[in-house]
Amino acid sequence: MKKLILSLTLAASVVASPALSQTVRIGTEGAYAPYNYVNDNGELAGYEIDLGNAMCAEAKLTCEFVTNEWDSIIPNLIAGNYDMIMAGMSITEDRKKTIAFSDEYYPAEPSRFMATAGAKFDFTALKGLKIGVQGATMHAAYAEENLAAGNTILSFETFDQAVADLAAGNIDLFLADGDPLNNVAEASKGAMVAVGEGIRIGDGMAVGLRQKDTDLAATLNKALTSLKKKGVVDKLIKVYFKDGPFYSN
Amino acid sequence: MLESLITWVNAWLGEDVGAKLAYITNGKHLLWYASVRFTLIAAFGSAAFAVFFGLIGAALKQATFTPFRWIGNFYTTIVRGVPDLLFILFFPLAFEQTVEYFIARVKCGADVVAAATTWPPCPEAQWLLSTGDYLFMACLSLGIVYGAFAANVIHGAMQAVSKGQLEAASAYGFSRRQVFWQFKVRQMWVYALPGLSNVWILLIKATSFLSLLQIADIVTWAGRLGGANYFPRMGLIHPDWRWKYYLVLFIFFILLTMISERFFEVLQTRASRGMSLAGVKSDV
Repeated sequence: MKKLILSLTLAASVVASPALSQTVRIGTEGAYAPYNYVNDNGELAGYEIDLGNAMCAEAKLTCEFVTNEWDSIIPNLIAGNYDMIMAGMSITEDRKKTIAFSDEYYPAEPSRFMATAGAKFDFTALKGLKIGVQGATMHAAYAEENLAAGNTILSFETFDQAVADLAAGNIDLFLADGDPLNNVAEASKGAMVAVGEGIRIGDGMAVGLRQKDTDLAATLNKALTSLKKKGVVDKLIKVYFKDGPFYSN
Repeated sequence: MLESLITWVNAWLGEDVGAKLAYITNGKHLLWYASVRFTLIAAFGSAAFAVFFGLIGAALKQATFTPFRWIGNFYTTIVRGVPDLLFILFFPLAFEQTVEYFIARVKCGADVVAAATTWPPCPEAQWLLSTGDYLFMACLSLGIVYGAFAANVIHGAMQAVSKGQLEAASAYGFSRRQVFWQFKVRQMWVYALPGLSNVWILLIKATSFLSLLQIADIVTWAGRLGGANYFPRMGLIHPDWRWKYYLVLFIFFILLTMISERFFEVLQTRASRGMSLAGVKSDV
């Protein structure tokens, strides 16, 4: 009898749960450590995965991460395959034309060039170089606009492929976000180094949303503000990026 | 269980072998091995569809009603000529969008569909395909393509059954249906099996296209695992190792082919029981 009651309550809760909260799907790439990546256990992990889950818990939303290739991540948001993007995406004017953004959850950081150790460049006049970027990124847009004259811009599908081609000597420079580049430089034990001055391209990273989903944006911003105040965001930044940048002080 | 095994191997064979074993048995690699299920499901599912479409195609090709014969011949000549890669890209997409079109017509109205500039025409019509749905679509697509090959093989095999046998059967008073099933189809397999075995092997190879339908199959995982990694958080740091992983896949597919050939040999022996087969090779 007890068993029957238990299974009845279970059945009732299963039936009731979708009505209480609909699942919000979050699209991510899963190939951009430390923001989002697949760990050794084959599970999604990273700063954005932890932060996304914390935000959803704060806003009492049921969330689920799904992976999608980077170059179709915005079209598939608009088509409705998922409701949010958390994939190391910086706020840019170009993207604001098609999607909306929440408040930022990771401060803007200068982008950097990476090169193999020992190579010398004149950053005031880059000429005759092969410069790699990840396709459909703000770096790709920046390179097309500012570096295309006199250089060859090569676009890669993922961050890792660009690094592999730099390591193999197929490109001279790779332009990307500073943090992941520093990680790679460190792991390469001096074979690859970040070079030149930092370039400020986009604003901070934020959740990408459909423009009409203003309620979801408001809910997320409220949760994010509260998490920043509680220090949860800084704590996660400390876990994944060691020395910041932090939101407090 | 795995950890204790690894500790034991470390002690026995040294840290290096232990570390390698730990690497190839980590969660990512286990997911890779487990993804073989998609390949096998797709192979058997497509084979079932291919035989089904093959029998229909063969029946149409020898129908007495001329339009049926046209359909049969159209199927075997046209579909056979479409690259399987192209068809597996085309068919699921066309199918999904057709369904979405009709959902949109019903839920949102024809005027909304006509005015829509994006796809799907209205959000309510969005059909999110799960891995299972994609797998079914893959089976159906490959089934249609290889069904056309199978139809030709089966049609040819039915023609190969000696006319004398069938005439003798009718003379003994068997009905037309009995002659077809008990004599023609029963003897047809001997002639069809070598050809079907070839179709099966082509089909197994075509299952490597599953990754195109966003199914995390063995090919997807081989690319992911072998891809260069420079982030310590993502596991072992290594350069581009994809060739090693693809080599493992080569071996996997070759083994699968060898097992299949053995299986078809056994089938052939079974199908040839009690038949006098002068001029028919008994090996596949």
